[in-house]
Amino acid sequence: MATGPAEPRPPARRPRRGRLAPILGLAGLLALALLFSPLLGNVAIPPEVVLRILARHLTGGAVFSNPCAGTSISPTLCTAYDEIVWEARLPEILLALGAGAALGASGASLQGVFRNPLADPFLLGISSGGTVGAAFVFVFQVDVPQEDLVLPLFAFVGAVATGLVILAAARSRFGSVETLLLTGVALSSFLSSWLSLLLLLNPTGSLQVDFWLLGNIGGGTWAIDGIVLGTVLITGTLLALLGRELNLLQLGTDVAQSLGVDARRVRMQLILLTALTTAVAVAFTGVIGFVGLVSPHIVRRLFGTDYRVVVPGSAVVGGAFLLGARDLSLWVLPTSVLPIGIFTAFAGAPFFVYLLYRRRAAAPMGAL
Amino acid sequence: MSAADPPSLRVARLTVRFGGRPALVGVDLIARPGEFVALAGPNGSGKTTLLRTLLGFVPADEGTVEVGGSPVASLAVRERARRLAWVPQEETTRDDVPLIDYVLFGRYAHLGALEGPTADDRAQAERALVSVGLADRRADGVLALSGGERQRAVLARALVQGAPILLLDEPTAHLDIGHQLDLLARVRALARAGTVTVLAALHDLNLAARFADRIVVLSRGRKVADGPPRAVLSAELLARVWGVVGAVREEPRSGVPYLIPFRPASVGGDGPAPLGVGPVHVVGGGGAASPVLRTLVDAGYRVTAGVLHLMDTDQETAQELGVPTAVELPFVPIGDEARTRGRTLLGAARLVAVAPFPVGPSNLANLEELSEVVGRVPVVLVGWRNRAAWDFSDGAATELVRRLRERGAVDVDTPEQLLARCAAFLAAPPVAP
Repeated sequence: MATGPAEPRPPARRPRRGRLAPILGLAGLLALALLFSPLLGNVAIPPEVVLRILARHLTGGAVFSNPCAGTSISPTLCTAYDEIVWEARLPEILLALGAGAALGASGASLQGVFRNPLADPFLLGISSGGTVGAAFVFVFQVDVPQEDLVLPLFAFVGAVATGLVILAAARSRFGSVETLLLTGVALSSFLSSWLSLLLLLNPTGSLQVDFWLLGNIGGGTWAIDGIVLGTVLITGTLLALLGRELNLLQLGTDVAQSLGVDARRVRMQLILLTALTTAVAVAFTGVIGFVGLVSPHIVRRLFGTDYRVVVPGSAVVGGAFLLGARDLSLWVLPTSVLPIGIFTAFAGAPFFVYLLYRRRAAAPMGAL
Repeated sequence: MSAADPPSLRVARLTVRFGGRPALVGVDLIARPGEFVALAGPNGSGKTTLLRTLLGFVPADEGTVEVGGSPVASLAVRERARRLAWVPQEETTRDDVPLIDYVLFGRYAHLGALEGPTADDRAQAERALVSVGLADRRADGVLALSGGERQRAVLARALVQGAPILLLDEPTAHLDIGHQLDLLARVRALARAGTVTVLAALHDLNLAARFADRIVVLSRGRKVADGPPRAVLSAELLARVWGVVGAVREEPRSGVPYLIPFRPASVGGDGPAPLGVGPVHVVGGGGAASPVLRTLVDAGYRVTAGVLHLMDTDQETAQELGVPTAVELPFVPIGDEARTRGRTLLGAARLVAVAPFPVGPSNLANLEELSEVVGRVPVVLVGWRNRAAWDFSDGAATELVRRLRERGAVDVDTPEQLLARCAAFLAAPPVAP
């Protein structure tokens, strides 16, 4: 098979030029954000106290048994600070990482499935489904003691139900990429009409829905973080493992099939995984825009188009991006609680456009 | 290749419909290991549909499609990819994948779950790149390749698939003539090696004739011809299937038939083609008959010529156009043998056109022969009025022409006016514009 006249010696495989720098840069940025993030919050706590509190918890109490020693902070206040840092800030930080990673990985996978650089995790109506679910809670003021679990549950059910409809469409023989995309758009509009109807019937829920639509990571608890990060770890890994197939799908469904990729099955797997991942993020943080759209593009600019890199890379960048947005919001307006979605787009969009135009001339990038 | 080998492709009574419209109707096709089969036919004749049905993309409505002995529909996608490699007509990719990785995509069906390409896979990809002449571009992104380079990259990818059946859909569409020949020669060498079956949809019938062992012709979804190029290619097939007026020649060194298309039958110089009407016999020499021959052949008439001397300009034109000609050796007077052959052609003619050739002792016989037929069939003198310095026979020729006019020969001035005469005299005339 394919015997050439001369046996070429494959050159030694070097890592592609300029790959190491962005990896290190990204890792450094993430580490910095992780260190810096707990210092920021609505309550002003001296940075050294925050760091001591973190060190105390991370070492299981071996060091800094009194984080406020040597300061004028009273023991009562110190306990409150401890609670704020460890039970509020850190869960919030981890939720930002988890939700960002979920949106980044989903966005990257869906851009691959649809061969469309404009695809994002909410493309198929997952967010609309979640919003309708959440709106039920707001509009009918579902009154149960465990409200912080009811809202995510309703949102999750709404989002997953939408995902299942899309999955059924993907199963059908006629589920071409274009049909699927249009089904998602139609479903999204259909659900939006339900949302409008709900809010017209009971306008009191409308403000809460508005807030929900801008996203919120303030609801993080260690338990929620466990759910979100656990899900992202599992589904994100599975998505990354489908990177080979995503690479081949970029050549078109037919070519991918001719090379041995069961396109319809792979597409269903990808849609199921992204729907689940997105639904979990939406359930606990509402609808946070822009992260899932932009993260894959940033990764592609830095590391190329190989989906085995783009999917996990987008998870990392998505997490860092959302955390950065949180930090920015607290840095700019430390005392107010603004929806995080405002900042993802406010800071992210100009940065994205900058990236786009800076690299445009340099390389013939396919995507975008 | 032998008839005893089990066929690697077997299509029987295949019918495919798209929303009720039949795209393929009762097609049978068998291809064996080592065979290069060309698939020909006009646009929309079903070539691509047949390839797509073989690939399992399009389900068969009736009939069977077997690949390597198994019905294609029963094969898992991965197994299909191990049996069939495909070079599509067009492939769009947005991602700037390094060429070597792009070729390695072809190994996907051989990799285990979660497995990356092995050293052996890489070596195969490198070899494939060498064999399509792209080794120096291995690190470049595919988007940086030209159309022709990309087509060869797709072939390289198909090669590393290691499948016993290679399906090509217009593989030469974006290639210059050098690379067309190169690519098809490579593909044929693969088939010749004995293990690979090649089925290639080719628009270029001459390339098909040159490289394929067999040509299968589809027309409106039906198979209308299947056999070696020599048996399949004919002016009649060209007219019937493609609606083109043309001629079939033989390449002198290889004996490979090749086609010269003249014009579409529907938009000929003078409306509907008088296909096969004639024959019109042309008398000439010294280059005088060439415009007349071309005009008549282009208009679709069956044309004969004679007696012409070998290596005379008119003789060469006649040969080029595939016009049956009575020929005499160069620089000798027309002998009995050539004269008899010329007389046979003249006798079969339904109209005789006489080009304004210089007449001397060596070709005076051509005018003498005309006096045998004038009055029986129309004789048209093309451009003989007011000629100067043409008679080198001491007046014998002038006298012969005078007598021809007396007995009904008519004069026209141009080949175009000749066409009008032909239309007037012959039973199924071309419609004048």
